[in-house]
Amino acid sequence: MAAADLNTIRATIEGRLATELANSPAIPVVFHNMSFDPTPDSSWVQCLTSFGSGEYLGQGSTSSAQNRIVGLVVLNIFSSKGVGPGANYVIGKRIRDLYNRVNVSGVFFDAPIGPEALAKPDAEGYFQTRVRVTFESIEEL
Amino acid sequence: MATIRGEQGSVQFDAAGSSNANIVGTRSWNLTTTKETLDTSAHGSTFRSFVGSLVSGSGTVELVYDPDASGQAAFIEDVITAADPADATFELFTTGTSSGSDSVSFAGIITDMEISSTVGELVVVSCNFITSGTITSNLQ
Repeated sequence: MAAADLNTIRATIEGRLATELANSPAIPVVFHNMSFDPTPDSSWVQCLTSFGSGEYLGQGSTSSAQNRIVGLVVLNIFSSKGVGPGANYVIGKRIRDLYNRVNVSGVFFDAPIGPEALAKPDAEGYFQTRVRVTFESIEEL
Repeated sequence: MATIRGEQGSVQFDAAGSSNANIVGTRSWNLTTTKETLDTSAHGSTFRSFVGSLVSGSGTVELVYDPDASGQAAFIEDVITAADPADATFELFTTGTSSGSDSVSFAGIITDMEISSTVGELVVVSCNFITSGTITSNLQ
């Protein structure tokens, strides 16, 4: 029993994505606080992991107690503009399948939301969709 | 004045009644203590009168189920003890875990256990108990 290590949870989430997108066909992936210069007309993925609220699950103050920690993974999928959404949704399916109701190392992923097409992409010159996955982890003190 | 929040509480239990230990993962507990009364009204009385009689208690402990959590299995499974001699001991704490302080302790019997699994929720266990014998209150 120990306080949750949020960096371990982050690494679990991001490592799972990095491993999948390293498989063929490999797709570059970028995370929070990383510089990235995408190749024009290529596909790439941005993964943003954030932690949200926590709540008491059980009694016991600072020992023999449990908390629920929730968070959100936002996955922005960028692909070539002007060629339809198919290639983008293929990547979206890979990502969705990666997290859909999965329990990895104590991190429970909910049913993903999306891919949702964005009318105004965050990166100009690309077609963008977004997959959002909420997750929770139980902290046992 | 010091108010107490529910998450400060805890429950200790020992099925054999020798050495209470924390149950990890309790979410709530409640205890209702009841005193029976005897009617002492006499012929000719205008108003009823009573004296206190036998005291008993009952309540519920709710757990966030974790098969590996210390103390949970013994607590949950005590309900299947046949011919239960009421040798199990309980101590319910409003805060802390110091025996005899901010707590109510007693021997008792777990009379029913309910475990429920629902989509979108944690698996929780609810155990009802009744007290047997002396109820010691340290809620001062």
